[in-house]
Amino acid sequence: MVDAAGKRVLVIDDANLVRRYYRDALERAGFEVEEALNGLEALEKLQDAVTDLLIVDVNMPQMDGFTFLKALRRQDLPVAAIPALVISTEAGAQDRDAARMAGGNFYLVKPVSQELLIEHVSMLCGIGP
Amino acid sequence: MADAAPVTEDELRRLSEFLYRRTGMVFTESKRYYVQRRVSDRMAVTGATSFASYFARLRSDIAGEIEQFINAFTVNETYFYREEHQLQCLTRDLLAERTRRRPRSDAIRIWSVPCSTGEEPYSIALWLLENWAQVDAYDIEIVGSDIDTRVLGAAAGGVFGRRALMRLTPDLVGRYFEPLEDEHWRILQDIRDSVRFTPINLVETAETRTQGKFDVIFCRNVLIYFDDASRRVAAENLYENLAPGGFICLGHTESMSRISPLFDVRRFNDAIVYQRPERPHG
Amino acid sequence: MPLIRRGGGRSPPVEDNGSDPERLLRDGTSDQRWAAARSLAGQPQAVDALGGALSTESDARVREAILTGLARIGTPASAEAIVPLIRSEKADVRTAALDALRLMPRALEAHLTTLLKDAEPDVRVLACDLARELPPPVATRLLCALLAHDAEANACAAAVEVLAECGEASALQALAACAERFADVPFLVFSANIASERIRAQAPARDG
Repeated sequence: MVDAAGKRVLVIDDANLVRRYYRDALERAGFEVEEALNGLEALEKLQDAVTDLLIVDVNMPQMDGFTFLKALRRQDLPVAAIPALVISTEAGAQDRDAARMAGGNFYLVKPVSQELLIEHVSMLCGIGP
Repeated sequence: MADAAPVTEDELRRLSEFLYRRTGMVFTESKRYYVQRRVSDRMAVTGATSFASYFARLRSDIAGEIEQFINAFTVNETYFYREEHQLQCLTRDLLAERTRRRPRSDAIRIWSVPCSTGEEPYSIALWLLENWAQVDAYDIEIVGSDIDTRVLGAAAGGVFGRRALMRLTPDLVGRYFEPLEDEHWRILQDIRDSVRFTPINLVETAETRTQGKFDVIFCRNVLIYFDDASRRVAAENLYENLAPGGFICLGHTESMSRISPLFDVRRFNDAIVYQRPERPHG
Repeated sequence: MPLIRRGGGRSPPVEDNGSDPERLLRDGTSDQRWAAARSLAGQPQAVDALGGALSTESDARVREAILTGLARIGTPASAEAIVPLIRSEKADVRTAALDALRLMPRALEAHLTTLLKDAEPDVRVLACDLARELPPPVATRLLCALLAHDAEANACAAAVEVLAECGEASALQALAACAERFADVPFLVFSANIASERIRAQAPARDG
């Protein structure tokens, strides 16, 4: 069982069932969850409270996940360094590379089980097993 | 007529998401009660007896139902120094960037569109006089535009009631306004002369192009009303009206931006603004 | 008082692009290509010029202007010019194309049937999202057809996502079958259940 100690996760995905699925798992594990429907909304939301981890989809309207990450990493603010878990449908090696080059810290391929999600979120938040 | 069953949490969520995707308006938990009320009101007016049929109507935007719905949530009232944090951002951050390496002869141009009855462009004038250390160093041109020529006429007249001035200190009112009878004040001639008012439809490129290029554009709470196709055109027009490196401020109290990928997002202490990129190299 | 009202016209108006926009669209500077794309927007006879430019344009902003121009034409031909971009390796190009296609639901319908059977699963995923713009009975029919045959969990998940928003009662059977077929994919079972719940909650008689 994970002790999330109130770590905050921002879930960025345009699919509302995906966000619900992640929220369900994250809240049961004790994380606080915020949501954004695309990269632009995420950039706007990140002005508010402290966020410990981003979960980032790639294909989203208005601003895709890679464009978002690049815009975020460019900023001269603490938010620029928040770790990002990229979760996408695309399974190729070039997509993993693209994620890393955009500033993602880890890459998972959909569909992701709730157990796998919590395992990686915990790791990226620096929470032990 | 029988009361419709109360709207469920899930239904409210779906409706909120749909409206967000269409208009950019955000309905947070704190607004749920009002959303519920609005849904009930609109269901009664349109004769829908189930949420499903009302939602279908909304999704198809029958008889402009989307605008009917969101009208209850948009603050149409305007007053001086509304969204003061954006004015703060203007003098603390935006103008500093715009005046870096800029000849003094190059006028600073600011656009308020839509300007309605003038509170916003006059606020900008007052704010600059009161808060910008370099206000004497540069020529400043403020343009206020609106599609509605009646409000433009009122704006040029510069007469305001008590509610419009409620955020201003008595000192400011005393220095910049002359009292008229019947609880009205007129802003001083010099300030009225500082703003040029023009009739403009944001979606008409031929019209917007006549206004030239600006350093800062305030375009608050109008894009949410446009359909997606018109919004793209308006955003492209606004992009053209910005000098490279210029900024645009949108309304943030009720909506996430619906600005297009043409702009870069810039987050300052006081506000989030959107920027046309500086001239690219080569 | 330091604030001065200019007589107007001190700042040059934004340039209009007069001559030969089709040529400038191909050969001009990025500013010229931008202006050319905007001047051709909405003109049905410009579909080929805009579509041709789209396939080679590398400037993201000019691309947006071209896409707006094609979207304003709104014919199946203009949709056809945009569809190839959803196969791009670049996420921002795909996003831009999809945003424009969402403005053209009627023009899109003919293409969607084909896209939903595309050999590439990622294309099918994106096509499901576009189906959201169609009238609910049409979207339901097309997405249920996908659910019946698609072997890819992500494509089915995308179809379920859209059915959860606008699916009709006729989708319930396909959703149940999907949950069974993918019993080992927890996310898909989760989604199919929610979608079914939402559709069942709408069951009370609709009015006119």
